[in-house]
Amino acid sequence: MSPRPNIDYIRRPQLITAAMEVIVERGIVATRIADVADRAGTSSGAILYWFDSKDELLAAALIEEDDLFYAEVTERVATGLTPAEQLALLIEAASQGGEWALWMESWSRALRDPEAARTRERQDLRWRAVIAEVVSAGQQSGDFRGDADPGDVAATLASLMDGLAVQVSLGDPEMPPERMVALARAVACEQLACELPQPEPALAEPSRPQATSAPAPSVVTA
Amino acid sequence: MSAEQTRARILEAACELISEEGIDGIRIARVANRARVSTSLVHHYFSTREELLTDALMLAFDLAASERFGDEAGLVEIEGAGHTEALALAIDQCLPDLGPSEHEWTLWVELWLRGARDPELRPVANRLYQRYRGWMLSVIEAGVDAGEFDCDDPERVADLAIGVIDGLGLRVLLRDPGMDLERARTTVAAVLAAELGVSAEPDGLTATGALV
Repeated sequence: MSPRPNIDYIRRPQLITAAMEVIVERGIVATRIADVADRAGTSSGAILYWFDSKDELLAAALIEEDDLFYAEVTERVATGLTPAEQLALLIEAASQGGEWALWMESWSRALRDPEAARTRERQDLRWRAVIAEVVSAGQQSGDFRGDADPGDVAATLASLMDGLAVQVSLGDPEMPPERMVALARAVACEQLACELPQPEPALAEPSRPQATSAPAPSVVTA
Repeated sequence: MSAEQTRARILEAACELISEEGIDGIRIARVANRARVSTSLVHHYFSTREELLTDALMLAFDLAASERFGDEAGLVEIEGAGHTEALALAIDQCLPDLGPSEHEWTLWVELWLRGARDPELRPVANRLYQRYRGWMLSVIEAGVDAGEFDCDDPERVADLAIGVIDGLGLRVLLRDPGMDLERARTTVAAVLAAELGVSAEPDGLTATGALV
């Protein structure tokens, strides 16, 4: 029997959300348990009741961010869209990509911590599998060319978007978010010999706060 | 030791520590310890930790960039090598070289993280990207001018090149079992070959093994 009372269901998500916010602002190393407690309106003791260590709390925050993104994306692509519409949506979602600063934290951690490296790998595989599934569906429906390897296309698109998102997050004037989307769409069209529709404005609405200070994506022009 | 040497030694110690432990682990006292100087001497050259970090990152990338991007003309003058081989070589130079020199890539990832979080470092990062982009663009434009690449928007291809190289290079650096250096090289070649109308096969964009 867990000694933890029922408020677990309320408390844990709140603490994770508070941790995500503080990490984005300060970075993992500068984030203290006390800062997260302040943000969540609770005590450090309460946090240590749910999480054995700061590392455990941070790992939970990074996993939660990925789960949120994944849940949102799979929900959005599962609503009767064509594969081409789904692929356009995935690219759009990545450009709004939750908190890129959090992904970068997880990359930096993965360089030094084998457990963090495994988590990042799992998350990457999951994201690539989502893309590959859409590619396969488009090949079966005849919308995408059939001789491209879905895994290769997914690896290419996921890597390209990560690399471009770095520049977007750095506020590079040469790489506004809409250019990132345009480039990823162009590569997808080239590799799959297809055309991608423009995402509907309602679907392109960001549903969570934008990462860093990059300007919000405006109308996509790819 | 001259003032310049002392400063260089401090910066070098800072670079080593950033590469080993990440930017967040850097403390003036530890850098002083590594450089075998006093903390007050470090403070004499760098008034804040931020200043030390920024200068250390700039130095690291300046050295790496002049080594890598300094001589683009030299790239296309390899005997018997055309622009396709020159571009293949450029790709190889940008992907991480696992081993003693991978710390440079680790610093690159640290710069991303720090720049994303700290607006003060963004101009530095933007400048480094400008140089990276410009260098890649010059390699592509040389091939277009010579009629070897068929491409009406070299800037777009240069952007694609550095984007896909950064994303794949990160995975190689992290030793992702699904993305080793060979697969990364093939993937970049496939993207760029399609854009430039050249072959991505072993005699085309991935043909650099013998040249490196």
